[in-house]
Amino acid sequence: MSETASTPGPSEILRLPKRLRAAELVAVLGDLGRRSGDGPVILDFRDVEEFDSATLAFLGHLSDCQPGVSAANVPEALARAEAAFARRPDVCWPEKPAAPPSGTRSSRFFQAMADRFLARVRALGMFLAMFGDEVFHIGRYLRRRRGVYPGETWNQMFFMGYLSFPIVCLLLFLVGVTISITSAEQLRIFGAEVYIADLVGYAMLRELVPLMTGVILAGKVGAAVTAELASMTVLEEVDALRTMGVVPERFLMVPRLIAITLVVPLLVAMADVAGIFGGVVVARVTFGMLPSAFIDQMLNTVDWTDFAWGLIKTVVFGWAVVVGAGFKGLTVGRSAEEVGRATTQSVVLSITMIIVIDCIFAFVLY
Amino acid sequence: MDIITARDLTVGYGRTEVLRDLAFAIPEGLITAVVGVSGSGKSTLLKTLAGLLPPLGGGFEFAGSPVDYRSEASLGRLYARIGVLYQDGALLNGLSLYENVALPVRMHYPELPEAVVRDMVHAGLAQVEMAGSAEKFPSELSGGMRKRGALARALVLDPHVVFCDEPSSGLDPITSRLLDDLLLRLKESFKMTLVVVTHELRSIERVADRVLLLNDGGLRYAGDYADLAASDDGFIRTFFLRKGHHDDA
Repeated sequence: MSETASTPGPSEILRLPKRLRAAELVAVLGDLGRRSGDGPVILDFRDVEEFDSATLAFLGHLSDCQPGVSAANVPEALARAEAAFARRPDVCWPEKPAAPPSGTRSSRFFQAMADRFLARVRALGMFLAMFGDEVFHIGRYLRRRRGVYPGETWNQMFFMGYLSFPIVCLLLFLVGVTISITSAEQLRIFGAEVYIADLVGYAMLRELVPLMTGVILAGKVGAAVTAELASMTVLEEVDALRTMGVVPERFLMVPRLIAITLVVPLLVAMADVAGIFGGVVVARVTFGMLPSAFIDQMLNTVDWTDFAWGLIKTVVFGWAVVVGAGFKGLTVGRSAEEVGRATTQSVVLSITMIIVIDCIFAFVLY
Repeated sequence: MDIITARDLTVGYGRTEVLRDLAFAIPEGLITAVVGVSGSGKSTLLKTLAGLLPPLGGGFEFAGSPVDYRSEASLGRLYARIGVLYQDGALLNGLSLYENVALPVRMHYPELPEAVVRDMVHAGLAQVEMAGSAEKFPSELSGGMRKRGALARALVLDPHVVFCDEPSSGLDPITSRLLDDLLLRLKESFKMTLVVVTHELRSIERVADRVLLLNDGGLRYAGDYADLAASDDGFIRTFFLRKGHHDDA
């Protein structure tokens, strides 16, 4: 504050500069902070000609918030502007520290934990209710064939199946290659190279294809479904459907659930072939094993039940992904920001559900 | 005769009450403007009357029957007799304008032959002077066209009441005027009841027969638009007659 001059006396006087806007005010506040405890201070406003709303707010709260600091020689223009300035009551500058929250720290901690737990339980209840509703809606649709836009199921099948097919096959082929390479070395140590076919076949059909397909569906289909439904909710399209007498949970969800149920078997079959083909390639390159020998050896271990269980698991994963995505999309808030958040949450929720369901299947099947 | 009668109606979100203990009636065959400053609860009230937001207290009757939010059948009866024009139209972006307007018909009457659906849709679009844009998608339409298209969708099943949420917002004065004329035509030609949420004074002046003025969590005025001029309420005079409190003195 080069223009601030101090005069010795019982009250220290700070003569304020001609230009006193927010930037200069910061320097004045710093000066006041350093002088706190040195006795009363009088701010001399006589030279102030340029000011802004920060100056007016400061002047308005001076007597309440700055004990020991007073104003003098306030020019008429500044006083008039300050009188007309709309201030928020009970606000100090610098702000007074907030009142301490009630209750002990541990009680507040448990309260917060209980609130979060209840919110999760409520969300789980809503999710399960929606799951039940969807089963009801599908049953009703299959009986009456009403409430769903014609052709929408085909559109969804195209998106969920045809457009997912290349990425599912590519990734599962690479998973087949990876698991074969990592297993090959261990099998060679024990002279059990031939069992690579059993390992790849069993792992692919029972575990890796369902799990990886589920995760790919969560990332590709789940995220897209949530983003689409959440945008529709934000843009009031879901409200519009409801006031047209159309049940959005049926109109929007049933085609997607039917589509995922129909395309998953095809995806799983293709993914099984791609994954096993990865194993065949590695066995041929690493051990010189003929593809026909690989398949013969694999069929000694795996049978159609392995394929069927993998298929059933993937259909359940697909349902979990679509219902989870629909739940997040239809319960989103009303801002664009929430669409992004809901999409992320949907993917996390779907993958979590897939792993939990997979674990339950493991307990039941083995 | 009143088509909607509200008693002790409290509306809001969660535990937050936006409007408390409202009592009003909306007469049949007239245009009622729901007005108030931003944040006064106009759209919240409209959502409750349109069956989207359960009331926090009290209730309302539609055509003499109480609307029960816990009953799917009761809400279904309400939805069958109303149409809603949303602020941004809320046309489904994945469907063409024709398919948007046809949607309620196809959902409610899937047995109707396509030729009948086509005639109904074209009649609805002609009503709002949009017959030439039937095959366009919402993203290809201007704001005013989207609203007119949405109005066609709201009208296609001949509802008793049409709720319009801020029909003039974001429109230029000419398009806004066209939309107002359209609302007047609907009232006069089809004896339709319209509930219009707005804060556009010119629009209120042009179309409103009745006014519900919301302020400070309650109903400040409910009555004929024509009687507003006689009011000596400072807020009403400030709001409608564009006179400040200082003019009242």
